[in-house]
Amino acid sequence: MNNAIEVKDVVKKFKRGRRLKKRDIFAVDNANFDIPEGELFGLLGPNGAGKTTLVRCLATLLIPDQGSIKIMGKDISTHSLQCRRQLGLLTSGERSLYWKLSGRDNLKFFAALYGLDGKERDMRIEYLMELLDLKDVQNERIEKYSSGMKQKISLARALLHDPKVLLLDEPTLGLDPQFSRFIRIFIKETLNKKERKTILLTTHYMDEADELCERIAFINRGKIVDIKTPYEYKRDLPHTEVLELRCSGIQNCDELLKQLQSLNTVEKTTSNTQDHVTNIKIILPRAEPILSDTIELVRKQGKILGINVEQPTLEDVFIYVTGTRLSEDTAEERPAPQD
Amino acid sequence: MSFKNNLKIIFAEFKKTVGIWRSYPILMVFWGIAPLLWVLPFVFQGKALVGGMSSAPFKALTGSANFLPFILIGTMVSTYIFSGLWGVGNSLREETYWGTLEYIIASPTNPVVILLGKTLAEFVLASVNVIFQALIATFFLGVNLTIAKIFPVMVIVLLLLIGFYGFAIAFAGFTLLIKEVHGYVHSLEWVFYLFSPIRYPVEVSSITKTLSALIPLTYALVAIRGIILMNQHIVNLWQTMIILIGMDIVLLIGGYLLFQYLERKTKQAGTISQY
Repeated sequence: MNNAIEVKDVVKKFKRGRRLKKRDIFAVDNANFDIPEGELFGLLGPNGAGKTTLVRCLATLLIPDQGSIKIMGKDISTHSLQCRRQLGLLTSGERSLYWKLSGRDNLKFFAALYGLDGKERDMRIEYLMELLDLKDVQNERIEKYSSGMKQKISLARALLHDPKVLLLDEPTLGLDPQFSRFIRIFIKETLNKKERKTILLTTHYMDEADELCERIAFINRGKIVDIKTPYEYKRDLPHTEVLELRCSGIQNCDELLKQLQSLNTVEKTTSNTQDHVTNIKIILPRAEPILSDTIELVRKQGKILGINVEQPTLEDVFIYVTGTRLSEDTAEERPAPQD
Repeated sequence: MSFKNNLKIIFAEFKKTVGIWRSYPILMVFWGIAPLLWVLPFVFQGKALVGGMSSAPFKALTGSANFLPFILIGTMVSTYIFSGLWGVGNSLREETYWGTLEYIIASPTNPVVILLGKTLAEFVLASVNVIFQALIATFFLGVNLTIAKIFPVMVIVLLLLIGFYGFAIAFAGFTLLIKEVHGYVHSLEWVFYLFSPIRYPVEVSSITKTLSALIPLTYALVAIRGIILMNQHIVNLWQTMIILIGMDIVLLIGGYLLFQYLERKTKQAGTISQY
């Protein structure tokens, strides 16, 4: 099968800091992956990992400092117009449409940018409005739409020219569960299974990646850490349980994690504190043997609000592989090496 | 994209821009009354400073004592160029406000085609304004603007605008890169007010007279005033037209190349989506 997307040794650096103290930050650090035609491929990583930068490079919105990108066999640096015709782009956030125009007028404008007009354009818009259940609101101004409806119109725009490749950057970010569900099912069932579109989906929702993607690339601090199917990730994890503790009053979390890490068979420990409640995750082969020691250690510092033992999720795999939670913000943490 | 497709995109952009304008009723009201309000300060200023519309020093510089037609023509022509500079130069900034710029840049359409659509919209709006201004100037303020003079005036205006919109396209490129160009546009506006004969003859100072030769607006204003106020025939203005055509070529090509360069720089810097 031919590759729809080929990313080879792509590097993108940005300058950060004040004038005399400017330094290079690696947003994407030597990314390599191929996506065969028809695959739904996920790029999973925390905020600031480099997902959006990579998507912008693919969409020809950014010029990489090094490396090459091919879309349907064409290099984007030499055939950018042909590549753009094959690409449909959807980003997160509500602000990507003309709020003072109707949904239909928005689509008409963007259709013109792809050379669509007349009957062909009207039929395509009609089809997409029907497909995305937007017919009743198509003549209303975007400012009257809900967030989910705006995202549906954005999705319709990405599909106007029937592209072979779709770049979906956090498509369900900020949507309520009902619209998220609709968008996920639409991506999987209609776009991928029925229309066989090649889809690159970025997300920091592990359940979304797990549910939708055939293969997933973990990206952290600009680097592609690993690429596997969700099943392979979970299968290859050398432990089977995750011990989760919800605690309050923890004064020195780093010290506590060190102590927990030193317990027998513990593979990884992470913590996350919100509103004075600390969630501690311990990844290990079996939780039961260390349960009493763990409780004792935590009680020395604070109060235990809840304990849970679960099977690993993709998030646990991500923590195991990268040492970072998906909810962390890792931007600005990866300076380029000094020459 | 073919030429025909690009024309359709220009029209789509025009329709979109007008559609957005129409959704702000207060703007329509302002544009409706602006041509009436614009002229009054000049009339009052004239009365306050020289007791009417005639000035002896003005006559010494231009040969005509009545300065109001001089100023009115300068203002009408500058309406065209400043609306173009603001409208086109700032248009991509507006797209970042809507959040749509990324989608335009990611499409197979050259952003310059979008700018041409903006240009068309700005031209039509400025024309509506200028038509009202011209009607007021003709019927109430004694400017002798006959039908026979409109065609040669429009030829000069178009020759001026072609180059000017090329310049505005380059400005749009700066907006892409540095986002905020209000200060630059304001500065440029005042350079034009200061060194070209919009509100006064540049002969008032040797500095303004010398520097005005570098600004296309100077040539256009001299020619248009020649046609309207001194009944000059357009054929006799061939030297002005050649200068304007030369400036058009330089500004159009220069503006286009500068825009392409700045767009590439923006893509390298990664600031396209920044607001």
